[in-house]
Amino acid sequence: MSPTPMSDATFKWMLTVLTGGLAGPWAIIDSIQLWRSRTADRRDPIVRDKQFGYVIGIAIGVIGVIGCLKFQNVI
Amino acid sequence: MVAASEASSSAPARVSLVNPANAVTAARYLTLPPLYWAVAHGYHQWATIFILICGLFDKLDGLVARIFHCKSAFGEVFDAITDAACYGFGLILVAAFGWAPVLPVVAMIAMGGINVVMRLAYAKRAGRTTNYKSYAMERTVAYTGYLIGFATGGMAVHFYFWAYVPLMAAILVHDARRMLVDPIPPAPVAGAEVH
Repeated sequence: MSPTPMSDATFKWMLTVLTGGLAGPWAIIDSIQLWRSRTADRRDPIVRDKQFGYVIGIAIGVIGVIGCLKFQNVI
Repeated sequence: MVAASEASSSAPARVSLVNPANAVTAARYLTLPPLYWAVAHGYHQWATIFILICGLFDKLDGLVARIFHCKSAFGEVFDAITDAACYGFGLILVAAFGWAPVLPVVAMIAMGGINVVMRLAYAKRAGRTTNYKSYAMERTVAYTGYLIGFATGGMAVHFYFWAYVPLMAAILVHDARRMLVDPIPPAPVAGAEVH
């Protein structure tokens, strides 16, 4: 079995696409969800849980994109 | 007749423990020996592929449960335990072989342990097999799986590992009140979505 099934450049781009391709849309989708839930009743604990989850999702998405940019030496 | 029909429709659905969704969940354990082999031999790309397969199975089991109508409280708990076992093993493995910083991994394992204890306390308070649905924690499960991939792929490893720690700490503090203090919702009935 070959220790490297693909070239280093392909592997690097595969990781970038798999991460950035999930993190970017994830941050956008959770931002939209958070915006849509702004009128929901925050006295309901489920609503608060969801909103907290969206904030965490946005943070994870932003971290994912920043990591991709660092990996590609953009920042 | 109407009363009998209503009574039967509100009875909890009985799902066998041996079902396609649980089989997919259990199959995730099969990726751990090859993952160990790849890390031990320094095969970064293979290690990344094996942890990727483990993560894909994690997404697949929920889909299979919906397709085959075998969603159950046990399946949710089994899935959570499998997440902890597979990703815990992966994190320890990459830290042990020097592919990831040890301190954040120790913090993650400790916080993961606290989370398991709180979930057990929640189930004990509820008096039934149940899993607290944390919308925030659900998002970090994917992040945890990716962390192992970042370590095996050598991708901004220190940045991703250290960024995870404050996020996980914030979620633990938030979920602690929900699991240990707040009232527990009643058990779902058949046909209703499990939360």
